Amino acid sequence: MSEPSYPLWRNAPEPALLASRDLDSGELVFPALSADSPLAQRHEIVPLAGVGEVYSFTVIHPSPKSGEAPYALGYVDLPGPVRLFGRLCGQPRPAIGDRYAARPDERFGYVFEAVLA
Amino acid sequence: MQDIYIHGGAMTRFGKHPGVLAPELAQQAILKALDDAGVARGEIQAVYCANVLGGMILGQLIVRDLGFKGIPVYNVENACASGATGVHLARHALLAQQYDTVLVLGIEQLTALGGGTIPLQRNDHKTELYAKAGMVLPAVYAMRGTRFLHERGTTPADLAAVAVKNRRHGALNEYAQQRSETTLEEVLASRMIADPLTLLQCCPSQVDGAAAVVLGTRRRGARKAVKVLSSAVVSGLREEARDDILDAEITARAARQAYEQAGVSPGDVNVVELHDAFTIAELLYYEALGLARHGDAVALLHSGATALGGRVPVNPSGGLLAKGHPLGATGVAQMVEILWQLQGRAGARQVPGARIGLTQCTGGGIAGVDHAASSVHLLGV
Repeated sequence: MSEPSYPLWRNAPEPALLASRDLDSGELVFPALSADSPLAQRHEIVPLAGVGEVYSFTVIHPSPKSGEAPYALGYVDLPGPVRLFGRLCGQPRPAIGDRYAARPDERFGYVFEAVLA
Repeated sequence: MQDIYIHGGAMTRFGKHPGVLAPELAQQAILKALDDAGVARGEIQAVYCANVLGGMILGQLIVRDLGFKGIPVYNVENACASGATGVHLARHALLAQQYDTVLVLGIEQLTALGGGTIPLQRNDHKTELYAKAGMVLPAVYAMRGTRFLHERGTTPADLAAVAVKNRRHGALNEYAQQRSETTLEEVLASRMIADPLTLLQCCPSQVDGAAAVVLGTRRRGARKAVKVLSSAVVSGLREEARDDILDAEITARAARQAYEQAGVSPGDVNVVELHDAFTIAELLYYEALGLARHGDAVALLHSGATALGGRVPVNPSGGLLAKGHPLGATGVAQMVEILWQLQGRAGARQVPGARIGLTQCTGGGIAGVDHAASSVHLLGV
């Protein structure tokens, strides 16, 4: 696909991932709807909280032929409420309930970084 | 309501079929199914062709040289539930008295993709974003596995035991791709794919296969008449923020519909072919299909009830884990296995005296839903 036509990040006052909130139900949709979506008028774009908790995760072990190192993926539950999927960075193996914060990432758009105590 | 019968069925061996074109593979299953049903080609009034990745108008290509004389061919795609959806639609047309004899075919050649995981449907911002981060079906099931181990206090060996059971069944099935038994130690020691799922806990992705059934409105032939007692197809609801990923909601909903239509309860079912694309899936589906109460899936597995010789054998064919999962063919092949089981034709893997069988397929491939499509059928004699 070409460059996404929806806004992923709000840059100021501090970076925040963006979602669409249904004006009737209040339900959050991530990523935010494109302005071109026929559903856009029934939603408003809102920033998401930055830190959430891991609901579940896996560590992917790519084929040895790929030479790629294992990496963690997971669902992160953010206040809102909303559940996002993404890369979990900062520690080799997450645990359910660990706190992670979203940060911009050039390759994936965003990743979650472990919030270490 | 009008009774709908499965007159006969057949499948090819599931495995690698290098150099065989899709029409050749599919025609093997079609001709055997017609022969099995005792139905002449001229009696078929419509063809439903289930396939996911084989391209446009595959059904017409497959039947072009079979002399079906221009009858309607419907190409059906519903991810892993494509084959079951084909049977569902065929039943609609038979109930509406549009036709009295039809053929449903499922076909897939995954070896043509060159291996790896099944691609997602990425014509969607959410699926594209998540796929870029690494969302693939093994990851989705692995996250269910992680949550299952966390909530249920179970171990990876409990997951692995599903593969051991189904490979034991598959060793008895000449149509299965994996025809050798395996051990708990081998399953756990096989290469980690998506923690906690090891290689032998994932259905083989390099597999081709075809299956076909002939359906009709009139009882025929000398064998026990197998009826389609009920047929449900449902779609996934949009995921909500705090969904329980262990409840297999879409599958439980399809099962409730199927049981209600048939007037059958889970305790009446004698044999099940379910969608064990990954070991964790079989455990979740025990509960979604009502074979076990919430929280009792592992206990049901370890009781031996779902193994051959048990109270309700699950995946006597070996399931997807042993047989392989050629997407479009899977749902139809499940029907063929249950047909053979209900007619006492399943050889060494026969479930003695089976009278009611259940098939279940649940297919994914997009982000933001539990799964895209689920189908449950009940068959009976």
